[in-house]
Amino acid sequence: MAIATAPGRTFDEPVTDHVSRIRALWTVIKRKPLGMVSAGLIIILVLTAIFANVLAPYDPLAAQPEIRLAPPSWAHPFGTDDIGRDVLSRVIYGSRISRWVGLLAVGIGTCVGMIVGLVSGYWEGRLDLMLQRVMDALMTIPGLILALAIVSVLRPSTTNAMLAIAMVIIPGNSRVVRGAVLSAKQNRFVEAAQAIGCRDYRIIASHILPNVTAPILILASIWLGNAILIEASLSFLGVGTQPPTPSWGLMLSSTGRAFMEQAPWLAIFPGLAISLAVFGFNLFGDTLRDAWDPKLRRRG
Amino acid sequence: MPTRDPRPLPSRSRATRREFLKRAGWTTAALTPLLAGSSPRRAFAQTASPYPDWMPPSPNPPKRGKLLTRASAWDPPVLDPRLTNSVGLSQFATLTSNRLVRYPYSDEAANTTDLTLKGDLAESWQGSPDFRVWTFKLRKGVKWHNVAPLNGRELVAADVKYCYEQYAKEGVQSFTFQEIEGIETPDKYTVRIHLKTPNTMFPQNLAEPVSIIFAREVLEEDGDLKKRLIGTGPYMIKENTRKVRVVLVRNPDYFEPGRPYVDEYHILSTPDAATRLAAFRSGQSDIHFVASLNDAAAIKKTNPAAVIQEYKTVQTVFGLALAQDKPPYNDVRVRRAISMAIDRQKQVDTIYGGHGILGWGIPYFYFQDKMPTAAQLGPYWQYKPTEAKRLLTEAGHPNGFETTLFYYEYFPEMSSQVQLVQQDLKKNLNIEIKISKLDYTTFYGRYADGKWDGMSWGFKTGYATGLDEQTYQYMHSKSTKNYWRFADPGIDELVTKLRRTPDRAEQRALTKKVFEREHDQVTRMWMPYDSGFLVWQPFLRNTGSLALRRNDGYGASTLARLWIDK
Amino acid sequence: MYTYVARRLALSIPVLILSSLIVFGLMRVMPGDALTALMGESGNVSPKELEKLRRDLGLDLPYYKQYLIWAWQMLSLSPGDSIFTNEPISVALKKSIPVTVELAVLAMILGLAIAVPIGVISATRQDKPSDYAGRVAAITGLSLPDFWLGTLVITFAAIWFRWIPPLGYASLWTDPWTNLQQFLLPAAVLGFRLSAATMRMTRSTLLEVLREDYVRTAWAKGLGERIIIYKHALKNALIPVITLVGGQFGTLLAGTVIVETIFALPGMGRLTVEAILFRDYPIVQTNVMLVAVTLVTLNLLVDLTYAWLDPRIRYQ
Repeated sequence: MAIATAPGRTFDEPVTDHVSRIRALWTVIKRKPLGMVSAGLIIILVLTAIFANVLAPYDPLAAQPEIRLAPPSWAHPFGTDDIGRDVLSRVIYGSRISRWVGLLAVGIGTCVGMIVGLVSGYWEGRLDLMLQRVMDALMTIPGLILALAIVSVLRPSTTNAMLAIAMVIIPGNSRVVRGAVLSAKQNRFVEAAQAIGCRDYRIIASHILPNVTAPILILASIWLGNAILIEASLSFLGVGTQPPTPSWGLMLSSTGRAFMEQAPWLAIFPGLAISLAVFGFNLFGDTLRDAWDPKLRRRG
Repeated sequence: MPTRDPRPLPSRSRATRREFLKRAGWTTAALTPLLAGSSPRRAFAQTASPYPDWMPPSPNPPKRGKLLTRASAWDPPVLDPRLTNSVGLSQFATLTSNRLVRYPYSDEAANTTDLTLKGDLAESWQGSPDFRVWTFKLRKGVKWHNVAPLNGRELVAADVKYCYEQYAKEGVQSFTFQEIEGIETPDKYTVRIHLKTPNTMFPQNLAEPVSIIFAREVLEEDGDLKKRLIGTGPYMIKENTRKVRVVLVRNPDYFEPGRPYVDEYHILSTPDAATRLAAFRSGQSDIHFVASLNDAAAIKKTNPAAVIQEYKTVQTVFGLALAQDKPPYNDVRVRRAISMAIDRQKQVDTIYGGHGILGWGIPYFYFQDKMPTAAQLGPYWQYKPTEAKRLLTEAGHPNGFETTLFYYEYFPEMSSQVQLVQQDLKKNLNIEIKISKLDYTTFYGRYADGKWDGMSWGFKTGYATGLDEQTYQYMHSKSTKNYWRFADPGIDELVTKLRRTPDRAEQRALTKKVFEREHDQVTRMWMPYDSGFLVWQPFLRNTGSLALRRNDGYGASTLARLWIDK
Repeated sequence: MYTYVARRLALSIPVLILSSLIVFGLMRVMPGDALTALMGESGNVSPKELEKLRRDLGLDLPYYKQYLIWAWQMLSLSPGDSIFTNEPISVALKKSIPVTVELAVLAMILGLAIAVPIGVISATRQDKPSDYAGRVAAITGLSLPDFWLGTLVITFAAIWFRWIPPLGYASLWTDPWTNLQQFLLPAAVLGFRLSAATMRMTRSTLLEVLREDYVRTAWAKGLGERIIIYKHALKNALIPVITLVGGQFGTLLAGTVIVETIFALPGMGRLTVEAILFRDYPIVQTNVMLVAVTLVTLNLLVDLTYAWLDPRIRYQ
């Protein structure tokens, strides 16, 4: 899992203006072609996922074994798979699984990580010590192994694979959030608010959270890519998504590998889809960082 | 009464019959492309492939020496033959050890289905008239491997007695050996076995690849057989590094002089299929197995000199298993409906390219000479979706129901089959199946445990060669190997009668009745299957793989007759 | 300085205990257990025999007792036996650890050897075509699943070159040439992803450092570009990179799982995955604890190096 943010980096400017942030992002995207590419890729992915049922020419589950392993043609632009299902339709529907990956795995992982990090960082003390030790303990177990163990406990399915990946995401996220909260707390505004007796949740909402959203979103965008890869690895090991679900990871690791020589299109297209999605997310994370990281903004 | 070997006798005119079959095979192969375009309902279940199913032994004198390597998918789970029937162990245990009796090796067999019992450690054997007492005369001068603690001492009857008693005591072989009442050893070379009930086919059970004779001293010294595997066989274990390799070296004191031919056999642990294929292509592996015609063709493209043998398919090992002891599957109408709702011919035509078989559970040559046709598989086998729907409605499920199916992907075609079945049942009967694809251990444990619900892509164990194993041991309601969980008094009666019937013709008739009953009651819903192809480097000789005894797996004992022409 | 070290050490211990509890708990909650794996491909083990096996293996004891027994085994460095093979775990570890360590180290070396130069080029020629090329290559490296790359490599090596790394692991000490042949491709595959992440990190930290005042001064003084980069900038830029690499070690170890399976190397990754799937608790617990201890130690070392290099951190 490539954590692109270096440890120890803090966001020490009191950023509270969401509008200016979005404007900064837009400027960066416009200026950097790679930023535009990544934004474009993500939009395509989201739209495909939403409108899959309209875009897909065939039912992704409809098997026509007579035309199995057919190479790409006009009728089936991506060819057909081992029981004659249209690969294009399956790849399109696969974007829904990836969206599910994003929402469930990264969503839960990020939210829970954020809550843990907030609680830890804001109130510090013994709670912080305990929580951070638990997070450290989780981080000593390599991600894939942890995910594998959790999925083996729960029973292989897409949802459970997502939950397992969420568990892998939480510790790292919480640590970054905690760091951001700690540095945000040093802000004079926070001190003042605490002095005049503002409620904690108020302080968190208006002063801490805005500082935290930037690193969270950057991490989340990178994790979106990684989560897709972990799901593919879990499928390779046999404990991820179940057939006949059209997940890119399952398509790549099972039929893609089994028929690699006879029908390379079974692997090329899901593989391309995975790569483009991960590519897009990683690049977008870069772009976000370029836009929001104050240190880099100095570049002018 | 002389020993009656209830087996198909080898054909008299071997040479001409083999020639004819070869010629017929090539002709059919030439016609196949013409037929391939259309997908008619075939009268015969199998298309011929361009590869022969029989490799005759080499006429040249065998050469001694050299090294044989094979990249293997299986690691032995344990070395202890009492604890496992796994092919991971048999792939070399059948070379380090012998059994009392065995089946022909590839250079003595008349054809792939030649199942004449031959003596391995036993020279001759005889059954009493009531088939309750079997007497075996051991070969003289058979030596255990010359390693401590055996140090090359002679094998005696007491060794055999000890083994069989241990097998009966505990472990996975116990069901077979528990029918032994007692064993006498009146002299060093005679073993007399008393059975509790008559069994005309008892010697066949001793010929199964899992019934190897192990060393008593090892068990007594170590307390178990997990650390050392010492036998009387043509090869000795020089090195056994878990997850890396097993190294076998030639036993110079083997009781068949001049054999084995090859000096060393290395089995390399290679869990990934793509890697095994790459190993064969780059010359690091001499033997490779592929499941389908397309895979074989792909190898021929990069290695045109490779020799491909079609591994003759005589039975199916896998099928749709239902939790038959519970509703809804305990109702025969439900089973019949499900069977009629699955288009198996289409699976053969598409997934197996016409090369697989329709699916039946007993090797066909035990009851008839030709492979069963679709018609012979009974009315409930045919694809009749409307009839199926009617029957299921009659059984009380007009709107279908939901269920689960768990399986392990032994080969990629299996996943295709499972998903096609899922679609068929949904479309025709509105049965919703939720698939769980599991890893091997979880699948195996759950399946063998026998407490699962719903459906599974189940199997019967792959090593069985003998008729008794295939019928009584697998199908009797009380057997621990009856994974399909059916209890049919009709079958119980038939298989018990079968093992008491000495006459071969009667046996065939009874076996046929078992086969028909099975399909009538849909006790085991067999699915299309293809035994696949074995691929050999061109310099190997005597590579013929015999039916039910694949020589990279359970049939490895025949590798003692293989030689390398380099 | 010493209080810092002592404090960090003291904090590591509860972390390790928690890790052990997590792993232990996970193993016990899994459905199916090691005994079903022992039945191999048959399964006619009667319930009575199953019970006896269970007792022999100590699986019938209450959980807390099993945990304490295992904890004691860990602490006294005698990890007990594998349920599956009855072989002492220490033997299995002695054989598999060198494989994984060699793989990981080679992967890191290869990865860094590629990543740092590309990162430098990317940073110094920012926004020019070579920068884009480098960044695109890096992100591609991060986007390809390990198993896919590994499968591609080994399949096409066989088809195009009729050559694959020799199977049947040979140790570095007994047969170094075969060993290097075996490890080159898998290390490259593994290192590819590491190099992608490292390259991006190198690029961004170098970019930062190149804007620092002391570098500008060096420019102004008229020092050559190469001297500036390698003598002044890179050293400081590499600090976060080292941290990243240390952090990536965990990912590297996870990646060995897949690469070892495809290239048939008997390392710890493969051992652990198979142990998880076989429910061989002792092996999984021991291996994961070993990795945990290694990672904690590594983190400690990295932090200490950091503290030594940057005095501000010591006094936090």
